[in-house]
Amino acid sequence: MTIRYRFRQNGFVRTVFIFFFLLFPFTFSFVAHTQSPPAAPGVVRLKVRYKSAEGTKDLARKRFYLIKGSLDQNKPLIEKIKQTNIESRECFYRSQSASEPLIKWLRDNDCESVYCREVEDKYLSGPDAVREFQTAFEQALAELKNRDAARRWLPNYLPPQIRSGFYDAKQKAIQALISETESTTKTPVMSIMTDRKGTAYLTNIEPGIYTISNLVGSETEKTSLLWICEREVKATDLGVAMKRPMMLSNEKDPKVKCEVIERPLPVCNK
Amino acid sequence: MKDCSRRISLRSLASWRLCVGLFSRKDPKKRIGALFAICFCFAVIIAAQTRRRAPTTQRRPTTVQAARGSAAKYSAFLHSSEKHKSLTCNECHKIPTTWAAKRDFPDVADFPDHDACVRCHRAQFFTRQAMIGTGPAICTVCHVKAAPREERRFAFGKPNAADQQAKAKDERQFTIEFPHDKHQNVIARLDECHRLQSVRSESHHKLKSVPLDDKKPDYNNCSICHQTDMSLAIVALPAPNADPAMLHPFKSMPRTHDSCFNCHWKNEKPVAADCTGCHKAAPAFIAEPGRKRISAKFAHEGGKGEHVAECTTCHINITRAGTLRGLTPDVPINACAACHRESKKTTYPKAVTIEAELEQFKKTGECAYCHTPDVGQKKPPPSHETAVQ
Repeated sequence: MTIRYRFRQNGFVRTVFIFFFLLFPFTFSFVAHTQSPPAAPGVVRLKVRYKSAEGTKDLARKRFYLIKGSLDQNKPLIEKIKQTNIESRECFYRSQSASEPLIKWLRDNDCESVYCREVEDKYLSGPDAVREFQTAFEQALAELKNRDAARRWLPNYLPPQIRSGFYDAKQKAIQALISETESTTKTPVMSIMTDRKGTAYLTNIEPGIYTISNLVGSETEKTSLLWICEREVKATDLGVAMKRPMMLSNEKDPKVKCEVIERPLPVCNK
Repeated sequence: MKDCSRRISLRSLASWRLCVGLFSRKDPKKRIGALFAICFCFAVIIAAQTRRRAPTTQRRPTTVQAARGSAAKYSAFLHSSEKHKSLTCNECHKIPTTWAAKRDFPDVADFPDHDACVRCHRAQFFTRQAMIGTGPAICTVCHVKAAPREERRFAFGKPNAADQQAKAKDERQFTIEFPHDKHQNVIARLDECHRLQSVRSESHHKLKSVPLDDKKPDYNNCSICHQTDMSLAIVALPAPNADPAMLHPFKSMPRTHDSCFNCHWKNEKPVAADCTGCHKAAPAFIAEPGRKRISAKFAHEGGKGEHVAECTTCHINITRAGTLRGLTPDVPINACAACHRESKKTTYPKAVTIEAELEQFKKTGECAYCHTPDVGQKKPPPSHETAVQ
């Protein structure tokens, strides 16, 4: 009874008690609200085209890289990208003394290595026969004793430089650039490949300014094309990105901050 | 002591009475004020707690711990045990297998021979204790029954014979490491003039070039590994959707070494003998992921409409995936909207549009063209509305 009486009489104690009672849920709600979810990510839809003598074409099956920072911030890297010189596919295979039919097979199939297509029977004998494939097939057949398996597993029996030398050299140069970039920007480099229509999506990107490049020149019919572009990525969704793609082209576009380096493919020594 | 306990109980009683007192006061204004204050506090708490959070994408794998500590534990082989981990793969597995495996290519096609087990586990095979009951439990790691003349073995991966029995639980002790991005670099090539047609045979899944014709081209070479999974028939949908293509909506995953060894038999790393190049030991058994139709009635092949887009047009993130961990099919509704939108009707006159389905939902309360009933009867998410705006 005495305590109840004191509470009733002492207004100060009561006020403090009620204050803390109300403060308790506010503290909880404040903590919950300050743990806000990460900022909404952004999306870039790339659309890559190039103009050649035969008209404007979509750049299919080429990999593009997303690097944190603007062109100015990545100046040293961009200089390195410009200086990186990859031998053309034809020159590489000629330097490896590859046969003419093999060079033609790679060109016709748009392949950087022999892995990109299954070798068909017609390339093992007859007018289209490829010398390198024939040799590898004979070795495979001697070991596997199965004609079909020998043909399918033929790439396993080719010399490394013929098998994937050009692709490996290109990847080595790209990996060197990526490693350097990642150590400078402290951010992983994201990459994506364009589809048949030259479209690629870079999703879940933290908003900010980025450099988008293919790092080494992409071979088209007669030229090598290198893109080094800048893009500010804002928090957006895929629907918006689909309506407004980022166009990359070798034609001048004042809307896109881009440096395009177009070099003619070199004439290789036969 | 009595005084002390009485004082404590009086204090707690006082707190309670204070709360009760707020409502029992005679002044109704103060009582209402107090009631509002408390309601407000609760509302704030509820609002804070029910705030939408970003969904977590990672799912915990279903793991089942192997039995340990009993004689029966020898019937469950664990690659991840300390002793087994200390061995190299080819100390037990012959590469290629020399047993009567029926493959049309050299492969690790069967369990290791007896010597691989007996050299360490003699006691589990030949002691009197091991013979008690149904026989040595260790035999059932590979054999269907523990008996001296039992030759039948469980299927090792792909069965070597039609009557070969699979283990009761299809559980894997390894996760697979497969970088889609690197493989896309190498194989996802297409010359515009060189359309391809996927040709499936019994033994391999490579692509063959065929002349330009009306057949559906296969662009990304994904079908080297991913074929329509005819082994998995999804529970039949209601009558209007009785299209057979809808029963096999999913693509298969590689279950044999066939497609890998085309390039990785020797020389190109990881080679066939380097098992750990692709197979990473898991700490516990991983249940085979069960596939079920949750949401869409989509059929890759056939179906009501012909889906002619190349794989990466819809699976927009696959060419950047460096690992299988956390990999999801991730097809956004926007990918569907590219064709199934009102404005595209001129290009695909027969395509059912998302707009039409949204209208349908208003009338019938179900989006039945693309969705199964359990999902189609829910309110369409905002992403569907924005995709067609």
